[in-house]
Amino acid sequence: MVTSKGPVHPIGQGPGTARAAELQLVDRCRQGELGAFEELYRQHSGRLFSLAVRMLGNPADAEDMLQEIFLSAHRKLESFRGEAALGTWLYRLAMNQILDHVRSRAARTGQLTDGLDDATVLADGMGHRLADRAIDRIDLERALAELPEGCRAAFVLHDVEGLEHREVSDVLGIAEGTSKSQVHKARLRLRGLLRR
Amino acid sequence: MTCERYLNSIQESVDGTIGSIRRAELEMHLDECADCRALRDDLQRIHDAAASLPALEAPDRAWLQIAGRLRQEGRIREIAPAPGPRPNYVAWLAAAAAVILAVVTAMMLLVPQKAAPVQRAQTAPPAAGTGNTGGGNAPASQSVEAAQTEVDAAQQQFEKAIENLEKVAKANVEALDPGTSATIDKNLGIIDQAIADSRAATRAEPTNVAARETLFEALRHKVTLLQDTISLINEMRKGNNAAAAQLVNKS
Repeated sequence: MVTSKGPVHPIGQGPGTARAAELQLVDRCRQGELGAFEELYRQHSGRLFSLAVRMLGNPADAEDMLQEIFLSAHRKLESFRGEAALGTWLYRLAMNQILDHVRSRAARTGQLTDGLDDATVLADGMGHRLADRAIDRIDLERALAELPEGCRAAFVLHDVEGLEHREVSDVLGIAEGTSKSQVHKARLRLRGLLRR
Repeated sequence: MTCERYLNSIQESVDGTIGSIRRAELEMHLDECADCRALRDDLQRIHDAAASLPALEAPDRAWLQIAGRLRQEGRIREIAPAPGPRPNYVAWLAAAAAVILAVVTAMMLLVPQKAAPVQRAQTAPPAAGTGNTGGGNAPASQSVEAAQTEVDAAQQQFEKAIENLEKVAKANVEALDPGTSATIDKNLGIIDQAIADSRAATRAEPTNVAARETLFEALRHKVTLLQDTISLINEMRKGNNAAAAQLVNKS
């Protein structure tokens, strides 16, 4: 099961009130109220768009993916029972769609696990140290987009989204050891990229 | 040179999964090896920076496209007309556009020298009705042709207002710095795309109230952005940087 950074309750609302408000919102969406679905979109699109951009490596694909996620969510809202928070339900749905896309793309390029050559990563990542300043967010996003597909997916799930290696291995369908090696290679590669 | 035999321990230390014995061994090594210490610090910083990456903002057009597709798929419930005589929404929009035209005229007087002249006929308030005359109430049912005629008439009013605002803005654009000007152009591009999408949806279904509302909402956005642009130009010309900054922040 994917845990991940959990949804945040609206300010001033406890979990019970927030859950009741979510169920009410979902009910309005099910009745076809566009304004309600827009409210749901505004609450969750940022986080899901970020996940898509980082997993897919480019904003244009992520934008298309975001549309598919929310259209699919609208169709599947009938099955939402409120057992999990709406944010968690949407996150899982988004993750499954993004991963389907990543897997089919990786199957074409053969890159779900074999993105980086060990010797190159070691040579690139273990040289001089990073400049002694905070890592710039934009530089990090850019470097992330340069990582090979599989390596990037494992790194995003582990270091950005906060999943354990066991969870990353479940989600990506790879061995736990492979998840570790992919994340570790990604960090070394990022060190090389961020030094440029 | 970093010691490769400690590489796994360094990574596991960053993961937070290293055992206590290996941790102690690693710490002893790090006390003596500056390269490995630098590597551990850098990987930790990369991990921490990744964990604190903020959420990105999805582009506005993504929502417009989602809403358009939901409508195409018939998944949106159209708002039923209120019982009794319904206010003539389109005629109200035409009246709103007329007010905008008057505002444009006033604003053009504020923008000195280079403002493009406006034809008198365009500044005169247009008729409030757009096919439905008298009292502003539409008939209970509308034919597709009548609905399309109403939408077209209201659109024309908006387009006149937009055209005039664009003339003024373009004639005075040099008052803005290139960065602000580029941002405004980018936003106008997004709004234009939204207008084109919702116009296509309205043409496909002229009686679709929600599609109309989206179209007029996008047109209103464009008018507002252009009005703000002209206000910004005025404030820049007057050297009123505080007011200009306020307008930029509002945008």
